[in-house]
Amino acid sequence: MPEFLETQVDKFIFKVARDRYYTNEGVWAQADGNRVRMGLSDFLQQRSGDVAFADVIPEGSTLHAGDEIASIETIKVNISLASPVSGKIVEVNPGMETAPEAINQDPYGAGWLAVIEAADWEAERANLLDPQAYFIQMKAEAEEEAKKL
Amino acid sequence: MSQVNQGNHKQKVVIVPCSGIGKTYGTVSREAAYEVTEDLRPQASRIVALSLLVLGDEAAREAVANCPSITIDGCKLACATKMVKESGGVVAQDYAVLDVYRRYKQFKPQGIAELNEGGLKLANALAQEIASTVDNLVKGKSKLSPIEGGQNG
Repeated sequence: MPEFLETQVDKFIFKVARDRYYTNEGVWAQADGNRVRMGLSDFLQQRSGDVAFADVIPEGSTLHAGDEIASIETIKVNISLASPVSGKIVEVNPGMETAPEAINQDPYGAGWLAVIEAADWEAERANLLDPQAYFIQMKAEAEEEAKKL
Repeated sequence: MSQVNQGNHKQKVVIVPCSGIGKTYGTVSREAAYEVTEDLRPQASRIVALSLLVLGDEAAREAVANCPSITIDGCKLACATKMVKESGGVVAQDYAVLDVYRRYKQFKPQGIAELNEGGLKLANALAQEIASTVDNLVKGKSKLSPIEGGQNG
């Protein structure tokens, strides 16, 4: 099975990684035990534009699902990203300080933002979209955006 | 021997900014280019419009083919750098506005037709860096080759 679900809308190709869950806004969450790594989906990073700065809430912070975990400034917009899960931030990608363009270059890999020690991953996962559900939603959004071009 | 002789129009360092109309970062690139060519180093530099290179204008192609070029790109498509190379030119140094902004976070650019204060300050900071590069090219001291130039804005 391919690693990604993929679609082309207009001239843009969008990928959705199959091995993680998503919020409606396009933040992904990938669990390893109760440690949940998170970042931006390919669609969200492409729609937002080239990242200038990424400020992630410091390690040790505790937050609830939906609380702001990071703010991103791109050449187009400033966006606030909501945490997909509740818990404590145990790791912040050090690369975000010096090379936040990793979000654009490798959104599902080197462009990760933070790792959260989830308070209850199994319960909160139910609030997230699986890859297929996010893919359908993302594709609809992309097609809607394309109509505006 | 100098690579560029000041005052000789045909030997001026060529500056090719982004042509992105309606884009803040493109406007910053053009503002910086104007500042260098009109205020900071008018005797040693001149602008060649990217649109002319795209159209294959003979004079523009000749300019980049015969003089070292400094490109200023507004986004990662790097149209200015690509077009200079495709036109047979030598990119002595390429600047990306986003990279420059990362170094001057306090100057957040906004606006399109008219830049805000942050945008103007960012353009000025970029222009100062470009002027320094022009000086190095004029003195023949630039260590940058077309291959080594890379993303070093």
